[in-house]
Amino acid sequence: MLGEQKLKQIAEKVLKLSTAEETEVLLSVSTNSLTRFANNEIHQNMAWDNLGISVRVVQDKKIGVVGTNALDDASLKETVDQAIALASFQQPDPDFVSLPKPHPIKPVNNEMFIATEDDLAKGVNTVILKAKEAHLIASGAFANDASELAVANSHGVWAYYAGSSSNLSTIVLGKDSSGFAADVARKTSEVDAVHVAETAVRLTQESVDPQDIEPGEYEVILEPQAVSEMLAFFQWYGPNARIYHENSSCLSGKMGQKVFNEKVTLIDDPFHPEVFPMPFDYEGQPKETLTLVENGVLKNIVYDSYYAEKFKTRNTGHGLPAPNTMGPIPLHMYLAPGDKTREEMISSVKRGLLVTRLWYVRVLNPKTLNVTGMTRDGTFLIEDGKIVKPVKNMRFNQSIPEALQNVVNIENKLTRLASFEGEMINLMPTVHISKWQFSSKTLF
Amino acid sequence: MLKKAEAILSKIPAVTYADVRIVEQTSEEIATKDGVVEALSSSTSTGFNVRVLKNGVWGFAASHDISDAGIDKTIAKAIEIADASVGYKVEDVTLDDWAPQVGSYKTPIKEDPFAVSLEEKIRSLLEAEKGLRVSPKIVISQAMYSANREKKYFVSTQGSRIEQEIIWTGAGIEASAVDGAEFQNRSYPNSFRGQNQTKGFELFRELKLAENAPRVGQEAVDLLTADTCPTGEFDLILDGNQLALQIHESCGHAVELDRVLGYEASYAGTSFLTPEKLFDFQYGSAIVNLTADATVPGGLGTFGYDDEGTPAQRTFLVKDGKFQDYITSRDTAPKLQKINPRYKNKSNGTVRASSWSRLPMIRMTNINLEPGNPSTGSGQGQFSPAHGKSLEELIADTKYGIFMSTNRSWSIDDKRFNFQFGTEIAWEIKDGKLGRMLKNPTYQGITPEFWNSCDAICGPDEWTVWGTPNCGKGQPSQVMYTGHGAAPARFKKVKIGVVDWKK
Repeated sequence: MLGEQKLKQIAEKVLKLSTAEETEVLLSVSTNSLTRFANNEIHQNMAWDNLGISVRVVQDKKIGVVGTNALDDASLKETVDQAIALASFQQPDPDFVSLPKPHPIKPVNNEMFIATEDDLAKGVNTVILKAKEAHLIASGAFANDASELAVANSHGVWAYYAGSSSNLSTIVLGKDSSGFAADVARKTSEVDAVHVAETAVRLTQESVDPQDIEPGEYEVILEPQAVSEMLAFFQWYGPNARIYHENSSCLSGKMGQKVFNEKVTLIDDPFHPEVFPMPFDYEGQPKETLTLVENGVLKNIVYDSYYAEKFKTRNTGHGLPAPNTMGPIPLHMYLAPGDKTREEMISSVKRGLLVTRLWYVRVLNPKTLNVTGMTRDGTFLIEDGKIVKPVKNMRFNQSIPEALQNVVNIENKLTRLASFEGEMINLMPTVHISKWQFSSKTLF
Repeated sequence: MLKKAEAILSKIPAVTYADVRIVEQTSEEIATKDGVVEALSSSTSTGFNVRVLKNGVWGFAASHDISDAGIDKTIAKAIEIADASVGYKVEDVTLDDWAPQVGSYKTPIKEDPFAVSLEEKIRSLLEAEKGLRVSPKIVISQAMYSANREKKYFVSTQGSRIEQEIIWTGAGIEASAVDGAEFQNRSYPNSFRGQNQTKGFELFRELKLAENAPRVGQEAVDLLTADTCPTGEFDLILDGNQLALQIHESCGHAVELDRVLGYEASYAGTSFLTPEKLFDFQYGSAIVNLTADATVPGGLGTFGYDDEGTPAQRTFLVKDGKFQDYITSRDTAPKLQKINPRYKNKSNGTVRASSWSRLPMIRMTNINLEPGNPSTGSGQGQFSPAHGKSLEELIADTKYGIFMSTNRSWSIDDKRFNFQFGTEIAWEIKDGKLGRMLKNPTYQGITPEFWNSCDAICGPDEWTVWGTPNCGKGQPSQVMYTGHGAAPARFKKVKIGVVDWKK
């Protein structure tokens, strides 16, 4: 880790080296370790350090970006020179107005925790021992990531943030069943390995001997991990200014209209006490708590500096690193809790499925946001309000906006989630949905 | 740099085995959208890693810092990690019988993509993209290009000493058309970053993007008013670009020996191709021959040596429909031999790492469906006389069926049984002729049932090595570039039209 002062000096050096009209510097430093286990033993155990610099220069509305992972003086000069050279070959972007100006950034806690190999191995061993006691096989990973991020530009923007996270996830395998559990915290010592182990072992035991079930329309109770996996693509393709204004989002043209069930409120909150704070975006612009959908009505979509200028609106601080061809994305979105307990929701289901997680969710059509995917690691049949038996996995084909219109109830609390398949949603409740389309079976 | 790698290796204290990789990656990316160059960027990343085998367990550490202090710290970390793991060991890691390798490899290219002027690249992309905008209904037009160079230096305590330079290039165009709630996409020559091969700028020239753009744009517009693909069990002909991903998902991942042994259970999952099926299982029909071939020219998985220093090979995974082999590594081949003593104690050379900061792991090279050979197919009764011939002849041989091209969506379960794919476009085949265009085509199946229903594969003239540059695997995640040789093929009685688009 280099610290704020050192990074600021590097940024200033780069800004001084640049002769372009406008220049932006994005700096990152990270130290990471990951202990991976399978078949009840550690099989991949690793650590790596890296740093990065990305320089964006603008000359006559022509933009070039160059990145490297060296911060010595010669590399800095080469990077700046190359970015200026790229921009000189570029075509002007008529919609580009300016790199953003500085705005006050809310301070957050910059504490970092770096785990040792032994810290991670101990947590892993807790899971392995619990699995062995139950005659089951554990696999998973315990990772610790500490990083610094800084953004500077020639208009005076300076933003710096440091933080860390520690993430333990496991899948426990039985003869014909499996169970998933995970936990995430800022410090390795706050990750509850015992709870992770017990949850995964319990789910594996509860899902032994899964029964065949016919595909079709079912009521579902989606547990928090499944809700996160369901909403991951909505997060990318839904409230994104680029896609919204291309008329390619399921929300396009619906600002101020009721888009989902009135029980659905979606909030992007980078300062929620249960998530890892992110006080500014990759352009150094302040983030804020932003309500995207309130009681089913579309209230806001997210912008970065380019799309805010292009559509003459406010920048909400959702820029990604340049060059960004995906548009601005809410990285801290969660579904606001409702007023029912998980048990109350299950007891209200006449015949339906309890889905612990989804797998391999992919978009069929980005505009209607129909997705397909599988259930994984424990799916259960509910009859007359009671969980009656585990069932084999099934494939679903489901429109996400349709599912959010068919929300019956939402759990009264949020569960902290570890990012698993790249999704960035860290908090979700359990959700009861009246209709979910399962289309085919698999063999396990 | 090879000397530097040897210097690092010489500093590692005595262990059972150690290797050092230094990697320098450079990439250039251009993306244009609606007449504007949205991304013009270049990036480099350089670093090294140390992998040690000590007391029967691996330790791995990597750093960007190639100073003396950085090297010492990284070596010490790799040793500490091995020491921390040893207490949780169940079984010693052992390595296969490969002899040390000394050599070098360079992707054969005709035109260095980094030497072509940016002006020419930008002009060509904007021109191709402009050609897509055939109607006001085209709401997004895009063109993309990337070039990548990877220099790798590998040394090991067994005496391997290898230097490689891999170059690969990719390009494509994509049009999106919207009319009310209807949204349709059309890409060329493939979706999700176009075509990618280990070639130089000659690939870009071969693709002739601008010439194809008006047709691609028009197809996107026509799809808006096309009929929806019907639902039922029909004969299905897959175009090569879709078959490539079908192979990737239902064969390539299923034959990864690390998945089979449970090493990926915590993330991507396992595989239905369990070890007792080796040599006996009827994976596909008798005309299905699948290879892992790191030697095929132009494939994204083509190289001289893998990242454990094992030479590039061509291995039959499925021969005449029977499951024959896995893709393996130096530490998994011995494990398989313990389970099945008929198995060889040698890696198939299919291990790569996505960067200097990542562990080398089993990755697809080029997983190919070998082209149809008429002499092995027809005459056996159950196979079509069109086997080994052209796409035209295959269509002419189809009474009723659906021809699908260019992937739009893909999903498969964690044992690689149940898959579902959607493509951008399809056409109905009636009485041997291509008929009406169909929108929103999808099909679903169970892997071995599907491959056993294959009754014709087009011949070598229709065979192309498609690139899949976005294969994800491992924790921490590694995105790898893989290749898939395929010619169009026909599958009997496949479940088609499996999505109810209103729900």
